[in-house]
Amino acid sequence: MTPWIGPFLPLAALIWPLLLGALTAMPPLRPVAVRLLPLAPVPALWLALAGGQGVTAAPDLLLGVTLELDDARRLLLGMTAALWLVAALAAQPMTGRPHTAIFSGFWCLVLAGNLGVFLALDVVTFYVSFAAVSLASWFLIVHERTEKALHAGRVYIVIALAGEVALLVGLIIGADAAQSMAVGEIRAALGAPGSSAVGIALLVLGFGIKAGLVPLHVWLPLAHPAAPVPGSAVLSGAIVKAGLFGLVLFVPEGALGPVLMPLGLVGAFGAALWGLTQANPKAVLAYSTISQMGLMIMLVGAGGAARETVPFFALHHGLAKGALFLLVGVMMAASGRGRRLLCLALAAAVSASVAGLPLTGGALAKAAVKQGLADWSALALSLSSVATSLILIWFLARLWQMQGRDEALWGARFALPAALGVLAVTGPWLLWSAWSGHGPDYLFKADTLIDALWPVAIALPPAAAVLRWRLPQLPPGDLLLILGAWRGRAVRIPAPLSLRADADGALRAARRNSARLEGILIRWRLTGVLIPLLVLLMFALLP
Amino acid sequence: MTGLLPIFILLTSLVPAAITFFLRQESYRLRNALNLGGAVVKGALIVAMLVAVAGGASFETAIPLAPGLVLLLRIDALALLFVSLSATLWLLTTIYAISYLGEKPEQSRFFGFFSLCVFATTGIALSGSLISFFIFFELLTLSTWPLVAHKQDAASLRAARGYLLYALPCSTILLVAIVWLESATGPILFTDPPDLSGVDPASLRVIFALFIVGVGMKAAIIPLHGWLPAAMVAPAPVSALLHAVAVVKAGAFGVIRVIYDVFGIERVAELGVGTPLAALASFTIIWGSLRALQQTEIKKRLAYSTVSQVSYIILGVALASPFAVIGGLAHLVHQGLMKITLFFCAGIYDERAGVRSIEGLDGLGRRMPWTSTCFSIGALGMIGLPPIAGFVSKIYLGIGGLQAEAPWVLAVLGASTLLNAAYFVPLLYRLWFREIAPDAEADERAPALVGPAVAAALAAVLAGMLAASDISPLGWATLISERDYLE
Repeated sequence: MTPWIGPFLPLAALIWPLLLGALTAMPPLRPVAVRLLPLAPVPALWLALAGGQGVTAAPDLLLGVTLELDDARRLLLGMTAALWLVAALAAQPMTGRPHTAIFSGFWCLVLAGNLGVFLALDVVTFYVSFAAVSLASWFLIVHERTEKALHAGRVYIVIALAGEVALLVGLIIGADAAQSMAVGEIRAALGAPGSSAVGIALLVLGFGIKAGLVPLHVWLPLAHPAAPVPGSAVLSGAIVKAGLFGLVLFVPEGALGPVLMPLGLVGAFGAALWGLTQANPKAVLAYSTISQMGLMIMLVGAGGAARETVPFFALHHGLAKGALFLLVGVMMAASGRGRRLLCLALAAAVSASVAGLPLTGGALAKAAVKQGLADWSALALSLSSVATSLILIWFLARLWQMQGRDEALWGARFALPAALGVLAVTGPWLLWSAWSGHGPDYLFKADTLIDALWPVAIALPPAAAVLRWRLPQLPPGDLLLILGAWRGRAVRIPAPLSLRADADGALRAARRNSARLEGILIRWRLTGVLIPLLVLLMFALLP
Repeated sequence: MTGLLPIFILLTSLVPAAITFFLRQESYRLRNALNLGGAVVKGALIVAMLVAVAGGASFETAIPLAPGLVLLLRIDALALLFVSLSATLWLLTTIYAISYLGEKPEQSRFFGFFSLCVFATTGIALSGSLISFFIFFELLTLSTWPLVAHKQDAASLRAARGYLLYALPCSTILLVAIVWLESATGPILFTDPPDLSGVDPASLRVIFALFIVGVGMKAAIIPLHGWLPAAMVAPAPVSALLHAVAVVKAGAFGVIRVIYDVFGIERVAELGVGTPLAALASFTIIWGSLRALQQTEIKKRLAYSTVSQVSYIILGVALASPFAVIGGLAHLVHQGLMKITLFFCAGIYDERAGVRSIEGLDGLGRRMPWTSTCFSIGALGMIGLPPIAGFVSKIYLGIGGLQAEAPWVLAVLGASTLLNAAYFVPLLYRLWFREIAPDAEADERAPALVGPAVAAALAAVLAGMLAASDISPLGWATLISERDYLE
């Protein structure tokens, strides 16, 4: 048996959080489990900063674990590790509250899965990691155990399990087509002419659910706001990126562009506008996440250079969205006008970056991806900034409405989103040349500046209008809501006529009859003789 | 000396059985020492044998029973896969059963027949010829009956009668199949495939069907499954024996032998009987899950889950593509580990909390954390969540289905995963997220009950975590298929 070959650090980055997670189950550590969380992403962060050196293989683990870092993986790994670290620090005030040991244990499991998705070179490691990040995050969502959280959890677990199955089947089809477990070969095989469209469709389904692809996003606006603030931050900043990266890894170049691009754009605009009907600032942010993810999905669909730069875009969004969610928590812990203003100012700065105001991290991200886009899709990207500006201004308004109570260590709490915000702006600047191929001077050209400025400017009048004359406020869950309303109507039809009642009745009858049939089979004295004869007859009739 | 090894392995179960029958109820120590000792010695012998067989050795012994009737025992890789599973689980079940039965009556009868069952199962695994296989197979049928009827109440007796009602006609059918086939080919040894060219295809198809009915009844293939859910009235260690250690596994193992060593893959493909069998297995997988969904008793739900899961094995070997065979063989072990965990836990809930129905599980996670963790591991493994063993089987079966040009297998696997989730997730939710009734009495101060469950759950996790290593069930299944079936 060979424990591992190649550098140990990538393996350690995955095992370490799992070990810490196991430790949180130890009775003496349970009350202070949250204290361990900031340690969990440290090896991964170190790995991302130091860079990978070759392939790590653990041939006996699972079906042969292989891990590697390239530029894209490294960027996403670094962003993820940093966000989880800051979110873990923001989770510290949870120490001593009920159920935090369970929360901490699964926090570590989700983290390990999230990192594994970016490190995995083989499909089984990828699948295992994805399952961990997908299913274990249920515990982050239901943590508060309110009726709302449990409802969100129910919706989430059903959709997530369906996604798991789609993913497993899709990956099996890919692995069979490639005759290999290597991710790269599977993508190539799925892209080969004559390969199975079903496989790609299932993969898009599985990853799309996680990435918030419209119309598979319905769980997201329920689940992200339901989690405690640090949980929302990682869900919206890092965990959705697992789905996005899955699309980048497995969907072949050029395949499904005509599907992914329109759906992405529908998400980008639709979610941003629907978000204006939300009162809860976390729900507004969740819709903003769907909107931003829609853009990234569109980029994947566009292919080519745009697709290559998706990780650069994701880096900014992950850090910025994490900062915004944490700011909701900080606002809840502030009552004085000064502190509240400080919060609002920081939120405004980060929002401006997400909207892509010139020279912000967001502007850099958009400028980098735009080079790879056709004219019309570049225009769509610019227009989406209008929608983004709208929803984020609405978010700022909702944030300001929140009433908080002063809590201890406010400065430290405030420092965390501030740090993420700084990273979200400086990160893209530091990596700009490497990811865009241009020097910094490109960013100061009039064209680039105007390109970034006009969408935000256009957004201001409608934003003022929305703030003045509010849209109707709705609970989160758009399509589910519409579906629910439709079902509600169906029930009001006289019972025997309603489709739903019919289906229920048929199901009950089928259940009753199948049980009765089996009951007869078991009781019936002749069963033992007759059934074998029936089976026999069946085989004898074969050609 | 090495020729005697198969006999020694059989004796490690037979001797305790023979002596136990004559012990008085009070001889707890001697009885326990005999049974545990037998299981431990057997385990040691098997480890030695695993090493030897991995190195390429095989062992064979012939015992003349009557003129023209030879009991041929042979140890090959496939036999060892089954023997190691049943021996390991026998040891765990014995420890569990000693604690579970405590001072309940009729223990000598119980442990005597229990060891006899294990003896028969070992014999089934080691049989080198069709007739030896049949002898042990029938011994298993008969020695299981007193165990199902153990409680001697009306329900147990009814279940035991139901079991015989299924088992005896099927045994007859199996005998007819063997006589019919051997009358044309002469005695069939598993070592060299028989020459079937003298038999016309139509008869061969009928004989194949007779075989499948004969052995498939124990594997609870629908419609021959009715006895299994009914037999859940038996004590928990018996359920473990039925569902994991011996009976259903013997059925699945029988199907493997019939396909690969009696007919041979090529012949099965030529006759076109593999696909109908795979279809029947698929139907069983789905139907079993649907029925499991409707059960409100824990053990009954688990029983239908077995109906469904055992057919994964049948599906794999019937598809006969390389990955499917490996997946099916590995699932023989994986299903055993996961299902025995679940039944151990169901027994603990019954004994320590008086809980038999699903509603009773509310909030037990807090009160019985070890048991509930093991139960959760077993359940999640059944759904196919990594890194527990079940997902490895699923990946292999899925790829195997595509290799066999049967993409519908993926739909079956997908549907089965969702159905498994539908009938296991609510249980987990109750365990961990509901509040326990204030007056409930529940504890798990029974290390001899919880210990085996923990060991089995751990094994199920390790089988998945270390699937790629040579010593995992998957590694061994790969070795079998490379060595014996897919040259």
